[in-house]
Amino acid sequence: MDKAMRGYRQIPVYLRYLINILLLAALLALGNHLIVSGAVNRAQKAIILQIGIYALLAVSLNVATGYLGQLPLGHAGFMAVGGYAAAILWKSLPKNTGAMLLGLLLGGLVAAVFGVLIGVPALRLRGDYLAIITLGFGEIIRVLIINLPGITGGTPGLMSIPKHATFPVVYITVIVSCALIHTLMKSRHGRAILAIRENEIAAEASGVNTTFYKVLAFTVSAFFAGVAGALYAGYTGILTPGNFTFMTSINILVMVVLGGLGSMAGSIIAAGILTALPLALQSFNKYRMVIYALLLIVVMIFKPSGLLGRYDFSLTRILEKAVNGRLFPKRGKAGEDHA
Amino acid sequence: MPKRPVNSNMVPLDGLGIIPERDAGSPPILDIRHLCVDFGGLRAVDDFTLLIGKTEIAGLIGPNGAGKTTVFNLLTNVYKPTQGRILLNGQDTRGKSMHELNRLGIARTFQNIRLFSGMTVEDNVKVGMSHGYTDGVLADMFRLPGWWRTERKQHVRALELLDLFSLTDKADVLAGNLPYGDQRRLEIVRALASEPKLLLLDEPAAGMNPSETHELMDNIRMLRDRFSIAIMLIEHDMNLVMGICEGIAVLNYGRIIAKGTPKEIQRNPVVIEAYLGEEASHA
Repeated sequence: MDKAMRGYRQIPVYLRYLINILLLAALLALGNHLIVSGAVNRAQKAIILQIGIYALLAVSLNVATGYLGQLPLGHAGFMAVGGYAAAILWKSLPKNTGAMLLGLLLGGLVAAVFGVLIGVPALRLRGDYLAIITLGFGEIIRVLIINLPGITGGTPGLMSIPKHATFPVVYITVIVSCALIHTLMKSRHGRAILAIRENEIAAEASGVNTTFYKVLAFTVSAFFAGVAGALYAGYTGILTPGNFTFMTSINILVMVVLGGLGSMAGSIIAAGILTALPLALQSFNKYRMVIYALLLIVVMIFKPSGLLGRYDFSLTRILEKAVNGRLFPKRGKAGEDHA
Repeated sequence: MPKRPVNSNMVPLDGLGIIPERDAGSPPILDIRHLCVDFGGLRAVDDFTLLIGKTEIAGLIGPNGAGKTTVFNLLTNVYKPTQGRILLNGQDTRGKSMHELNRLGIARTFQNIRLFSGMTVEDNVKVGMSHGYTDGVLADMFRLPGWWRTERKQHVRALELLDLFSLTDKADVLAGNLPYGDQRRLEIVRALASEPKLLLLDEPAAGMNPSETHELMDNIRMLRDRFSIAIMLIEHDMNLVMGICEGIAVLNYGRIIAKGTPKEIQRNPVVIEAYLGEEASHA
């Protein structure tokens, strides 16, 4: 439907940006107020921070799985590299905002370098083979961390890392990262990445340099995993190789699949559910994993494309529909949800 | 619909083939010499030599399994030729990757449609506009002026191109939800988006009804006239081939058995035999 021709009123771009920024800022102020005033207790705050960190991990993995359409299994490796890089930097600097920013950036950049190094050979392979080589990479990183005690503290790990990851830091970092991934995907580069997922041969024949864009998507994915790793280091204060096992990679992948491959909102919601659920179920400790597994099975049976499919939430799009009186479309007009 | 003169005069060039008289002043867009490709012990294309003029509409026909699509795959470097060479606009295409060839000026469609079905019609076309833009990854992430310029330019251009095939009002539809005929048309639009000098169409009329085919013929001529490009097509619909192609090559068992204008091809006993079997040619 050509919206312009049918008198569909659109919200001007600057207004969209303003609405989104104001709402996000309001949410930040609200969250911060609740935490400072003590309405949210320490345990609840810990869950919120963990959800933020895992949301960023899931969103970053979604770039490689949902958008590019590959299946890397070594996401915890990038997270580890970023986390350790930031932790080592933070331990040698005084605790201030500059150091915090520097650490987050360094974590991302170091992980991105590894992303390029792994991506170039790994992306020559497809499907299962790519999964295996990235799985191997994740394990190599973990073993390296154990065997370089001079730098990483070895098996006992790095202790007393300055706790930079306060609520505002995690919140703003996650929001900014998601926004950057979103803007990338809504550009010609993002479209090239999606085209590779849709049909690699057609993309190549249309002039898309598939090798470059595969490595690019992989690197962006690694960068934000590294940032999330840095947040993780600044949140726990302790890093051990045991935090970054194969199971961590799988957990992140499950979040992406549960939320819907290619849906950023889905990744965030699934990260929320799968992080909060095990903690909430701690009192039924015996049945915790059973419930967790059942949930996954039920979702995969009834919604194989994930909770949200490829749908992405857009507040301004909903507002636009409301302005035009199309919030509740008549039957047969499915709108954007085509999963 | 005004009828344009369909078959222009063809003139010989270098004793290798014929090109339209109007293109005789400029070098051929495509110059293929002695192209061969082997798959294991099977020679799928054998000694394929063909010239295509700068604004020619050329046809490649032949029975099923004759190697027509293999020729297209050789032209776009999906396969490496065992022998022979291809000059595109005077440049050797050997060793170039598919996307580099696209930049040099070859765009194609596929026999089995290969659209980006999960993306909108407009985005499909925008992916085709893969070169000529300089905004970098970081500029796009931070929505610097380069991003705004590119988005505006690509949007306007995409709608212009879609308009040629009356697809503008479907710009927001997912490509996979288009009816079959529109999917074929969209593939052509996407190929055009890369501003090719040579457009390869692999069975563009497959699955179309006679009136759609007729419209497609007009569209193909319109593209050639409007963009001054060469178009090479594989097609089984003889009305289309004989109606719009200026030069035709007939392929059988990987070999060219005849080259010429539609009139010459229709009268050629070797072609009739290849298509209908030996007895028919005696009848």
